[in-house]
Amino acid sequence: MDGIVSRLEAGLATLLALPLRFMSWLVGLPRRFAQFLTDLPHNIRAAALATKRVLFGADSALEEVLLGLALIVALGAIVFTFLLQSALTPYPLVVFIGIVALGWRSYQARTAKILTVFATAGTVLTLAFITYFLFEKAWTPLVDFGLELLAIPVNEQGQTRWFFWLDFILPQGEGQTGWDPHNNHPSLLAAAWATVVVTVIATLVAGPLGLLGALFIAEIASDGLREAIKPAVEILAGIPSIVYGFIGFAVLNSFMQDAFLDAGASFLIAGLVVGIMALPTVVSVAEDAITAVPKSMRDGAIAMGATEWQTMKSISVPAAISGISAAVILGIGRAIGETMAVAAIMAGGTTFARPLFDIFDQSVTLTSRIAISYGSASSTTLEVLFVAGVMLFIIVAGASIVAQYIERRLGHELEAEA
Amino acid sequence: MSEGYVGDRALVSTESNFYDWGLDATIALTIVSFLLGLLTLVRAVSLGTSGVALAEFFQFLLVLVVGAIGIVGLFSWLNVVPVTATRVRGVGLGLLVDLVALAALTAMVELSMATLLGLVLVVQALIIGTAGLASWFGFVDTEPSSTAGLLAGAAFGLVGLLVGAALGGTLLGGGSLAYYGSAIVVGIGFAALTLGLREDIGTTLPVALLVGTLGLIIATGAIGLGWTWKPGPRIDGAFTGQVVVPLFVLLGSIVGSWGAAKSRAGYGARGRQYGAYLTIYLNAVMIVAIMVSIVAFVTQKGIIYAFHGFTIGALSAIVVLTPLVVLALNFARSKAGTNEWHAGARQFIRIAPLAALGSLVALLVFLLVSGETFDIPFTYTVWIEGRQAEVLDSAFLITSEPTVGTLLVVFAGGFLVWYFLRRYGSLRGVGTRRDRVTSIERWVGLTIGALFLLVLALAVEGKAPFGVPVATTLGTPLVALLSLAGLGLSIAALGSLLVGDDPVANRGYDRAQILRVGIFGGLGLLVTATVLEHVAAATPMVGPTSLVPLIATVAAVASLSVAVLTAAAARSASTEFGRVLNRESGLGLAGAAGFVVIAALHVALTGVPFSLGPVSIGITGTLSWPMLMQAYIPLGAEPGGILPAVVGTVWLVVGAAIFAIPLGVGAAIFLTEYAEQGRITALVEIATNSLWSTPSVVFGLFGAAFLIPRLGSKESILAGMLTLGFMLLPLVLITSREAIKSVPTEYRDASAALGVSQWETVKSVVLPAALPGVITGVILGIGRVAGETAPLILVMSGTLNSTQAIDVLGGFQFIAEPPFIYNEALLEATAALPTQVWAVIAAGVSGSPSMGWASALILLIVVLTFYAVGIIMRTFFRRKLNHE
Repeated sequence: MDGIVSRLEAGLATLLALPLRFMSWLVGLPRRFAQFLTDLPHNIRAAALATKRVLFGADSALEEVLLGLALIVALGAIVFTFLLQSALTPYPLVVFIGIVALGWRSYQARTAKILTVFATAGTVLTLAFITYFLFEKAWTPLVDFGLELLAIPVNEQGQTRWFFWLDFILPQGEGQTGWDPHNNHPSLLAAAWATVVVTVIATLVAGPLGLLGALFIAEIASDGLREAIKPAVEILAGIPSIVYGFIGFAVLNSFMQDAFLDAGASFLIAGLVVGIMALPTVVSVAEDAITAVPKSMRDGAIAMGATEWQTMKSISVPAAISGISAAVILGIGRAIGETMAVAAIMAGGTTFARPLFDIFDQSVTLTSRIAISYGSASSTTLEVLFVAGVMLFIIVAGASIVAQYIERRLGHELEAEA
Repeated sequence: MSEGYVGDRALVSTESNFYDWGLDATIALTIVSFLLGLLTLVRAVSLGTSGVALAEFFQFLLVLVVGAIGIVGLFSWLNVVPVTATRVRGVGLGLLVDLVALAALTAMVELSMATLLGLVLVVQALIIGTAGLASWFGFVDTEPSSTAGLLAGAAFGLVGLLVGAALGGTLLGGGSLAYYGSAIVVGIGFAALTLGLREDIGTTLPVALLVGTLGLIIATGAIGLGWTWKPGPRIDGAFTGQVVVPLFVLLGSIVGSWGAAKSRAGYGARGRQYGAYLTIYLNAVMIVAIMVSIVAFVTQKGIIYAFHGFTIGALSAIVVLTPLVVLALNFARSKAGTNEWHAGARQFIRIAPLAALGSLVALLVFLLVSGETFDIPFTYTVWIEGRQAEVLDSAFLITSEPTVGTLLVVFAGGFLVWYFLRRYGSLRGVGTRRDRVTSIERWVGLTIGALFLLVLALAVEGKAPFGVPVATTLGTPLVALLSLAGLGLSIAALGSLLVGDDPVANRGYDRAQILRVGIFGGLGLLVTATVLEHVAAATPMVGPTSLVPLIATVAAVASLSVAVLTAAAARSASTEFGRVLNRESGLGLAGAAGFVVIAALHVALTGVPFSLGPVSIGITGTLSWPMLMQAYIPLGAEPGGILPAVVGTVWLVVGAAIFAIPLGVGAAIFLTEYAEQGRITALVEIATNSLWSTPSVVFGLFGAAFLIPRLGSKESILAGMLTLGFMLLPLVLITSREAIKSVPTEYRDASAALGVSQWETVKSVVLPAALPGVITGVILGIGRVAGETAPLILVMSGTLNSTQAIDVLGGFQFIAEPPFIYNEALLEATAALPTQVWAVIAAGVSGSPSMGWASALILLIVVLTFYAVGIIMRTFFRRKLNHE
């Protein structure tokens, strides 16, 4: 208990110190930029040398250098033709394959290495392309609409709905949904709020259950039981979301009508389903974190006469608390990104939840807005959907980066303590 | 460790057995009420069940529990599955006693399920309260701490807050004062009770109060079936008794089990441990139950429709079963344990699959010989064209037709070839090396290479490349010559074993080279002959039958004889000879399977069935599975199936894998083996991890914005393949990196110390060692993308009832100008399994729910098969790694 409290305090302190660190980073920015400019020529030369070393080795024959150059030119031609004039792509592709075949015969090691470099570059390029094309498509509506994209819908009397006093900042939307891109009312606020509600419910389900499940697998279960239950959790992760969606669509909605006298689809049921879907992520990541706690720490507690449960409560969980929070963050990311189950369960609703915390209401989320509206969308609508995509991308990628940062720090800490 | 902890000794002294038994029974009772709460929540059992129905339900439960505990008890008594923990025994007995009591009670008194659950909670509360008092007054030996602890206090305060709010809001009326007031009073009261008293009474009193209150509310019907509560005037929904009662029961059971377990272990540190463990166990049970019930539910809903009109010939069924038989055989060969009873039990489990398959195959052979059929008739419901439900008759049928389709033979045979070749390993350098055989080996290789070029020329330029009518003049004699040469080689392999004076084992060892060249050469030449036959359209005949399959059959028999001879010789051979002979029998079996596959290949390519006596290889075969093998039939009497979706998913997965695996594995090699570990690699790692967790629908948007404009500006399967490939890429990269990293550094050092270059080390040492991990990662990744729906909706929206499957293989056309290969089919959209399910949802009332369930089941089977294979492979390789 004390362990957790002190950990949380430390975490809070770090969090509070973040603005300060950011400020000092900001202050130092001009100086570092100047430094960057002065170092630039040197760095470029170093980078060029490093690239040369990676691609051609320190002392290669002229043929090998030529081979590398030819491959680079061919690959560049493939990328450029695909980007600009995709019908021409097959030609450089054939040339590329030919050069690879020739190179493989005579300079296998060099060719193989260059190919692995290209594979890496391709992977990085994929990420760059995804980011670039999402933002490029979303740029026009972002400039055109600005804050209109988050306009607050109105109620029946035509007054702006209450939304955390944000009506000082956000404009007033049109109608009860604010979603009418044909007539330039592209508010994504209802969908974003729906995402928030579904994610909160899902986290309430997946967080505690996932932590208990992870404790069970990591600390309590015997080897045989662990071998049975770990695959079960993984298989739970493998069930496609559309299958969950179909169950929700075909069965759970009528259950809701019966048990909650509800019109049918609701945030509650969508949140529960998404929570179950996020559960395996939380379990497996949290389990990794708990298992990573060095055995020596636990043995110390046991040697002091503590029971297993005391050890778990006071040693393992506090030591792994950052990893566990990373697990919950990743679970939240999974819940935010979940599309098909939500789309299948809450296809009908488009309104802003009314009242805001009514978990029996229904509304499309950001993801299901994209999935449902894409087929029949006009070009303006399409662009707005890309804004939704960008929002999702930033939130989930950000969550992932934060989780990785936490995990890395946990690794260092445990290494230091072990 | 935990079990040992639970079972180390009776924690409470022997005089207080009554206390132990009572609490064990209470723990069992809380487990029963927990399960009943789950069952009533999902409406597997109605809360209104009463009288005879309820009594029957409990008798049914009692029978189940008697069976379960009986078999465990029996095996425990036999010492096969020893259960030594006193608490586990106690809870098991408690379960039995509780269910007998419940069954008796419901049989005697007219009760409804809700009332009964309330009473059960009240009983739990009474026993737990009594136990606390017994400890307080010192009737039993316990070791309570001074307080129940902050965690328990906080938890009870929170629960009290919620219960108080609920009671205030519902029973006293929804005024805000009563609402908040009662919440705060009850919350603080619970926390104070828990924290202020000694641990025994501080635990049991709040537990008994809470559980008892919940039980009384339910038992008196204050909250019953007809009860509803609307949280606010403008809220859509309301809470009904149907939901609240099970939730109350679940809450009461969890709290009750915690309190009872704590009391059972005598409070203190041990009591807290038992209490916490029981809660965590119940949670784990719930997670597994959720998983099992989802899979079981979809199966139960979809299986009838999915198997409508399923028919299979007995011979086809046998062919399908052969790979399974081989796997079961492999499983049964694994070594047994030593302890006598354990060994007996394990041996039984090991041979059980083989025995079951054996009897199944025998049944099929009986059908084949006797000419009878086996059928299970059933009915299924269709919504034809979305109008109304219609019930159709169907059956699961096994006929006695001795015909097999080519596809089945190729798949089953291909698996066998792969499996036996893995067991075969290599025979290079074994036995005497003969110059003539070596030169034959070289000539066979050269011939196959040359003919491959000829085949290419024929494929691209037509039957008369560059004006020379090669196909018509040379085709038939060439094919005949090739297949005869193949036959000669395989016969030579058999002959080398048969001819000679010394024992067969010695011959097998000495002439290993002839065997190897004979069987591999025979296979190679016959495959070339079959392909040449196809492109040159020249089929040499012997009377009414074609030459190639005939020769393949003879060669298969020869190969099989090699396998049998060497296996027989290996029984009494020395260890060194035995090992070689075992390999040779593996080679022989692989060859036999391979020659049968060639015969099937011939049938598939020429389109002429091949029969030998009563048995034949047909083009269509006798397996008919309308759900998987037919497209939708518009306006038909029977609805057909979802073949286009199945084919679409297969091609999507293949395309994604072809794109992602080389890129991902290549990048993983570079990042792990070549690149210096530093900022750049860390950055790439962070980027790929973020890419992995990016929502799938965002990948869909990217595919729609980036790929579609560049691939013919329309939705196409190629765009779908690449989009799924982008999703697969980070997964392959991450898992491959982990696998390559986990290869011990000693391997690389040892290789470098031998003077091997870096690339050779990577190729011959690191990659083979990392391969299992890489393959497992790829399989799990494919399982994930195979079920992805969202990106496919954006790049490849399928229609609900497609009537035609995409023909990717047939779409390949060779053209005489760059890029030489062109495929129209890749630029068309197709249905896929996930989009098929989505289409049913999107169609609303006009969709057919039964078909939706069946499609969901097929999708689930496909995806979970990938997962199961991946997980099994991982466990297998991990075990192998640990043993080494």
